[in-house]
Amino acid sequence: MKKKQQDFWLGLAFASPFITGFLFLTVIPFVQSFYFSFTEYDIFTDAKWVGFDNYIRIFQDENFYKALGNTFFMAFIAVPISLLVSLLIALLLNMKVKGIALYRTVYYLPTVIPGVAGSILWLWIFNPEMGILNTVLRYLHLPDPAWLMDPAFTKPSLIIMGLFGSGGGALIYLAALQGIPKDFYEAASIDGANWWHKFYAIILPALSPVTLFQLIMGLIGAFQIFTESVILTGGALGGPDQSLLFYAVYLYNEAFVNLNMGYASALAWILFVIVMLITVVIFKSSLRWVYYGGE
Amino acid sequence: MRMVSAWTIGLVLLGSVGCNPSEGSGGDRVKVDFWYTWLGEGSDAMEKLIDEFNRSQDEIYVNGLAQGDTQKQMTAIVGGNPPDLASLPDEINLSSWAEKGAMLPLDDYIQTNGYDMEDYLPAAREAVTYKRKTYGLPLGMNTWMLYYNKDLLQEAGFDGPPKTIQELRKYEDKLSKKKDGRLVTLGLWPGTTPHIWMQSFEGRLWDPEKKTVTPLDPGFKASVQLSEDIWQKHGPENIDRLLAGNGTYGSPQDPFATGKYAMTLDGEWLAPLLEKNAPQLNYDVAPVPYDKNSPEAENAGYINVNLLYIPKGADQPDAAWKFMEWLTAKEKMVEFDTAIGNLPPRQSAMDDPIFESVPKFDRFLAYANSEKMEPLPSLPFMEKYMGEIHKQIDRINRGKVSLEQGLQEVEKEIQPLVDKMEK
Repeated sequence: MKKKQQDFWLGLAFASPFITGFLFLTVIPFVQSFYFSFTEYDIFTDAKWVGFDNYIRIFQDENFYKALGNTFFMAFIAVPISLLVSLLIALLLNMKVKGIALYRTVYYLPTVIPGVAGSILWLWIFNPEMGILNTVLRYLHLPDPAWLMDPAFTKPSLIIMGLFGSGGGALIYLAALQGIPKDFYEAASIDGANWWHKFYAIILPALSPVTLFQLIMGLIGAFQIFTESVILTGGALGGPDQSLLFYAVYLYNEAFVNLNMGYASALAWILFVIVMLITVVIFKSSLRWVYYGGE
Repeated sequence: MRMVSAWTIGLVLLGSVGCNPSEGSGGDRVKVDFWYTWLGEGSDAMEKLIDEFNRSQDEIYVNGLAQGDTQKQMTAIVGGNPPDLASLPDEINLSSWAEKGAMLPLDDYIQTNGYDMEDYLPAAREAVTYKRKTYGLPLGMNTWMLYYNKDLLQEAGFDGPPKTIQELRKYEDKLSKKKDGRLVTLGLWPGTTPHIWMQSFEGRLWDPEKKTVTPLDPGFKASVQLSEDIWQKHGPENIDRLLAGNGTYGSPQDPFATGKYAMTLDGEWLAPLLEKNAPQLNYDVAPVPYDKNSPEAENAGYINVNLLYIPKGADQPDAAWKFMEWLTAKEKMVEFDTAIGNLPPRQSAMDDPIFESVPKFDRFLAYANSEKMEPLPSLPFMEKYMGEIHKQIDRINRGKVSLEQGLQEVEKEIQPLVDKMEK
């Protein structure tokens, strides 16, 4: 008994760096931001209690809707596209061809490029006059949009940029693909299944847990888009016609540029609730489309 | 967020490289920590002056740190561990920080030391004043003039710069050129924010009597209208495209240097850059044209300043003041401003012969010396106000909202802040 207690304290001591960090950097700020969301707080002067004022104001705030709309676009259009592309890449990388290890490396490579460096690289690719993308489009006599300068093309540009990093998702899919027992394919072949049947009846269900994971991570990531927008718009107010004003960017502006910490905290809590709700809906619905082997 | 911390770390590293450890910590001298916002060449020039000060006496030791991030200053002040002296790149946050008590008023120092504030240009003085108190000392000053490409003007049959806005519009029309349906030369770059040229229409953004923001003021409206007209005439998609191909500002590929802009409104710092990077460019500068219907607005213009201030909670405010006094004295100010290509805000420094060596500075100095120069009004919500103006102007230029509607939005958004402040 005594030994057990000693172990407990010892274990706690070893875990204390994490516990301290978690407590002071996560739990306390979390609680504090909830309190601040009901106040007016500019960091300099003491926080002033204003009740639900911030929350009421948010729902009348044009920028909030703009930012939310842009963010939803990225979450519900960009994320599915990137999942699809990851899956396609994974399927390609799962083929047995010569030098496949090299291909796998090459497709994964962009994932290790930091966000800032990648954004700057794409800034050049998207340059409407001198960029490689438009040079090719012009050569093919296709329309050459102004990409990051044209409000209608800013978000599609971001999606294209995001696909550059699909290698990470593809790798996870690839691992899952390799985990599918060969017997399934053999059994299907004997039953006369073609490739589409196999894809639909074996691969998709087998990959569904991974898809769920990637979907949720992708959505959470989409709700936090920040770096790309700030780099590509030079830190301005969300780019042309605010088309790149994302939720996290707006929150940052309110907090650190306009010093409305109370308002920003309220924004953060609303984001938290939205992400929570979406995650819950996806989890509930996943019972219907996610297949765990053995169940 | 990851990006922000990366930048901060980068800046801190930069700063520590900029320090000069050879002097040591200065022994028992009073140590003044000084965070300045100039980087690169500005940082070198500042370190040189700090060295000179440290060698000139044995009571105070200034420890300089290049630190471009003003948010970090604010965080340090809030955290109760600020530097003893800091600089801001412009005055837009001065009112807001002063209102919040983050800056020490300097009036007592100015009075007891007989510091000559009168020597500063009135507009520069106004820029560092909030509610009749002085919160900073200007070290450099900026003003904007009309840069025009002499060759392109001549080609179009003009033998001098436009003097009035009416002429400017005519010039713009004739100088803009299209090729294969695409804009290749823009007569006047219309992206400069209207607060820089609203003085030309006697425009204003604030009514001090009624305590109201006035984005719908006819003069300001007219200045936005000018930019809207140019955007709408060429079409936002054409202007976006032209802009997108612009080379780096001030470089040999600068759009004004390469003749993509025939005219542009820009600050005095561009002239030294052009001399260095585009020596072949045949250009000149002229006062911002004024509205013919407001003859009073001739030679009116906009200035802003960068400034030094003592944060609240500084350990050594007295020593910081001494260094500040030394640094803003005419000779040192002139030395620093020539190095960074800024104008001196002191009247006595204006005719210093050293500025003859900086291209076009005689013109800028003469223009800045006009009585009709104005800074932006000192209001604690200025950053938000300008942000809102930028946002709506972008929408107006792109035809998403009408001029009237957009500016009404600004008023609707900002006036409540005034009312709250006055409560």
